[in-house]
Amino acid sequence: MNAMTPESALRTLTYAEAIREAMALAMEADPTVILMGEDIGVYGGAFQVTLDLVDRFGPDRVMDTPISELGGAGVAVGAALTGLKPIFEFQFSDFAMLAMEQIVNQAAKLRYMLGGEASVPVVFRLPSGSGTGAAAQHSQSIEAWFGHVPGLKVLQPSTPEDAKGMLLAALADPDPVMLFEHKLLYKTKGHVPAGHYLTPIGKAVVRRTGTDLTIVAGAIMLHRALEAADRLAADGIDAEVIDLRSIRPIDRDTILASVRKTGRLMVVYEGVKAFGVGAEISAMVAESDAFDFLDAPILRLGAADAPVPYNPDLERASVPQVDTIEAAARRLARREV
Amino acid sequence: MPVEVILPKVDMDMSHGTLATWHVAEGETVVQGAALFDIETDKAAMEVEAPATGRLHAISAKPGDKVAVGTVIALIYADGEAVDLPAGPAHALPEAAVAVAAELPAVAPVAAVAPTAGLRATPAARAAARGAGLALEAFTGTGPQGRIQRDDVTALLGAPAEPPTPLRMPAVWSPQDGPLQFSHRKGAGIPIVLIHGFTADSQSWAPLEKALGPDRALIRIDLPGHGRSPRRRVRDFADLARMMTEAFDEATRPFEAVHLLGHSLGAALVLATADIRARRVASLSLIAPAGLGPEIDADTLTGIARATRTESLAPWLRRLTATPDAISDDYARAAMKQRSDPALRAAQADMAEALFPDGVQAFDLRPALSRLRMPACVIWGRQDHILPYRQLLAADGEVAIHLLTGAGHVPQIECPDRVARIVARSLAAAEAPV
Amino acid sequence: MTAPDNRPFAIRTYAPEALREALRRMYLIRRFEEGAEDSYTRGLIHGTMHLSIGQEASAMATCMELTDDDKITSTHRGHGHCIAKGADVGRMFAEFFGKETGYCHGRGGSMHIADVKTGNLGANGIVGGGLPIAVGAALSAKRLGKSDVTICFFGDGANNEGAFHESLNMASIWKLPVIFVCENNQYGMSTSIRQSTAVARISDRAASYAMPGVTVDGNDFSAVAEAVHHAIARARAGDGPSLVENITYRWRGHSKSDRNRYRTKDEIEEWMTRDPIARFQGELIAHGILDEGGANAIAAAAVAGMEAGIAFAKASPSPAVSDVTRYVYAEALG
Repeated sequence: MNAMTPESALRTLTYAEAIREAMALAMEADPTVILMGEDIGVYGGAFQVTLDLVDRFGPDRVMDTPISELGGAGVAVGAALTGLKPIFEFQFSDFAMLAMEQIVNQAAKLRYMLGGEASVPVVFRLPSGSGTGAAAQHSQSIEAWFGHVPGLKVLQPSTPEDAKGMLLAALADPDPVMLFEHKLLYKTKGHVPAGHYLTPIGKAVVRRTGTDLTIVAGAIMLHRALEAADRLAADGIDAEVIDLRSIRPIDRDTILASVRKTGRLMVVYEGVKAFGVGAEISAMVAESDAFDFLDAPILRLGAADAPVPYNPDLERASVPQVDTIEAAARRLARREV
Repeated sequence: MPVEVILPKVDMDMSHGTLATWHVAEGETVVQGAALFDIETDKAAMEVEAPATGRLHAISAKPGDKVAVGTVIALIYADGEAVDLPAGPAHALPEAAVAVAAELPAVAPVAAVAPTAGLRATPAARAAARGAGLALEAFTGTGPQGRIQRDDVTALLGAPAEPPTPLRMPAVWSPQDGPLQFSHRKGAGIPIVLIHGFTADSQSWAPLEKALGPDRALIRIDLPGHGRSPRRRVRDFADLARMMTEAFDEATRPFEAVHLLGHSLGAALVLATADIRARRVASLSLIAPAGLGPEIDADTLTGIARATRTESLAPWLRRLTATPDAISDDYARAAMKQRSDPALRAAQADMAEALFPDGVQAFDLRPALSRLRMPACVIWGRQDHILPYRQLLAADGEVAIHLLTGAGHVPQIECPDRVARIVARSLAAAEAPV
Repeated sequence: MTAPDNRPFAIRTYAPEALREALRRMYLIRRFEEGAEDSYTRGLIHGTMHLSIGQEASAMATCMELTDDDKITSTHRGHGHCIAKGADVGRMFAEFFGKETGYCHGRGGSMHIADVKTGNLGANGIVGGGLPIAVGAALSAKRLGKSDVTICFFGDGANNEGAFHESLNMASIWKLPVIFVCENNQYGMSTSIRQSTAVARISDRAASYAMPGVTVDGNDFSAVAEAVHHAIARARAGDGPSLVENITYRWRGHSKSDRNRYRTKDEIEEWMTRDPIARFQGELIAHGILDEGGANAIAAAAVAGMEAGIAFAKASPSPAVSDVTRYVYAEALG
């Protein structure tokens, strides 16, 4: 055991530390858990998430792969198919596009193609999102792409506590899981319980109760939505904010219950607005009995219809910010839309 | 056995093929692998080879015929094999007779719903109008582009629209366990047990305690989900009364008898406790008691329970008092601060739902009132908007009634000195030697 | 001093019973595919299929020394691999017919035929799809301390996929127990190896990844068995991967939609004279492993096995339409 004990009830870790702690716990408990990825060994990973794990578990279990996303992901799939539990880190979620074949055609479909005779318990970790000045090929939010793929589970933690609990839940899950980690959250701190615990897959959580409108958001957008909700509260607008947490499966019950209560729905997400997470949630509400509770059109706030730009002002403007969320929510609550 | 010549499937999505031409005539000799006939599909024409060597017989498809794949269209007999043609019609079925398996089930016509042409209305407004049995034309839309919104419907109907299914607070709290908490102020005489009302807590007694003076021993019990008590789930009033009896027994263990004083829901619990523990109760003081009639302003109770900010809490708080000015902004802010925990608010909202379903008091303490034999007084504000004092006038009981003009639902806060005087007199009467 | 044993490698290495069993499976592969083709032309099987008739020696000789713990990854032309690895043709036919009793409960079909219990991790509809997966399976064996090897079948077309190069490289740097077996049937659909591939032999690629590469006559059972035997020995010894290239030929078109416009009838017929089954049977008879009567019995048994398999498939139930989402996840999503 490491020297992290004793832990108080209010121990605080960063999001990155929480993920690392989850991986270390899993590796201590289960020798079949291995880490694979580019520069995750002595370099510690592009975002230092794996930091010292190679010192603790050795290069046989913390494997630096060549720059071979397709092959590397496929090796993880094959290993998962035959008894290991690999956690494969894409250096940036954008690089998963090089491995779409193995993720979508193989990992997601093998159980089904083989009639349930095989499992692919692989976890893909994907640092995601904009705000780092890394421009078009290192800033994307492509969670929704994988939400379209039956056979995958797609998670998006917004707090250190959930980041740890979701990674452990992903490892405990027999199916392939995509864990989208937001780069801007890696250094944020929060309470993280000690020891092993699971954050349930497929469960959203109401982070702020309210009566005037429902805002559904995830990852960094959750934090912006909560800040916007605080500002709105000063003007007597009472927003309920739901942390989506799981994109696939999606927590229909929590979202519909909230819409029935508030009659107004806004979905905030960092992916491109068109054909995104917001489209799915909007349509889900429109098709449900909660439709009859809607007292305004559903609003979606997503990224601009453009690649993520380099210029900082453009980059900021291209995705929802606290100001834009606040303004849109205000219009929705004041019946201006 | 002759070898069957079938119309082969030669493409993935092929269900039929058209026979183009035969290269061999009926009765002629064919050699395995030689061209036998041509077929055309949607995509291409292709030559089909003979599957065996022999004589061709029983040709049942002629050029131009559209034939389902797998259909036997001829037979090849080996040399010397007897040609024994099956009787009856040709094997190949004409196109019309081929079952079309992929046909979709017919879609039943949907019952026509008369559209309200040209009217813009939100789904919630439409549902509210539908629930009231009114056409949308009855309403004027105040939303963008004249859209009718739910408020436009409810304003005209003069009542909150009934939602299509019951509203529920999201389950954002998890029930806790454990006994109700109480606090003890040491003092002289027979102690007074104080039970506060819904959404209040023990601290709400401060003005009355001050007015009563510092000498008297006090025991303050917090309701479940209130003050320092655990957020226990309350199924109904009987459930709540059981919890309170347990707390009463625990809190009053050192004393032979106690006075009971309660407000609103707390007063109802005082009545219930006195009914069960009659011999241990010296007197009762009931301030604006609940449980004496069905009527209650449930909107205010749930409004307070659910409010998440001072701004939304203050208007509801001001309905508690006879004059709205009695609730200052500072008071509302302090009250909201104590209500900042969303789990506490959710627990209280669920408790309101259990005790006052559909805005009605679901418990009746009038029989308990009529059974009282110890000294008892009721103090009620004439301007109480939450529980109307007239409920009491219809009840039977040996109780002293004190109606206070200029007071609302919380006289112990609005005019603590008057309430304290009445309580003191009641206690003195109870403690006087018989 | 005894004379050197000049008999073919397979004859001097394997027990007569094992050799007869190999011939039986090769016949079964041939008859299975002919039966599948016949069922397809009758409209009993939908979709398409890729037949390996003419390539039976490559499949069978490669699997000769494998146990059920050893893994294979297969290709879209994978019926032969499946049977060579020990699958039951009844359950294979049932899968082709889309039946619940099929290996994949009717969800996979010809292109995803698999039998995980005998170590067949599945055919693959994506060219090159199985290459990284095979490396992953070999990684599992090494990590879990097992002596199992993984055979990765792929076609000549896959040698130009990025996955091929990434996979060989990783298998080599990590010294994993995997044998890459290229079944070079000389056409990637219609595009010939000469048109598509810069090197003369696909085994030349092995040098780039620092592993042994060998090219053999894929229709010569013994030659294939010998090459794979050495590669397996190297893998089990912990010395890493090898590349074996079996030159062979498919008698049929790429799939059932193929019009054979890219090759001549003469070429096809010339290759049909090099039938790997007849050649292997001839060797067994020549070396006294088998007589004519025994050979005929094996051939007849294959026909009977094929017919029984089709009968089983026809009689099997289809999956319930309401179960369309079954097997997507380990547990049904709520």
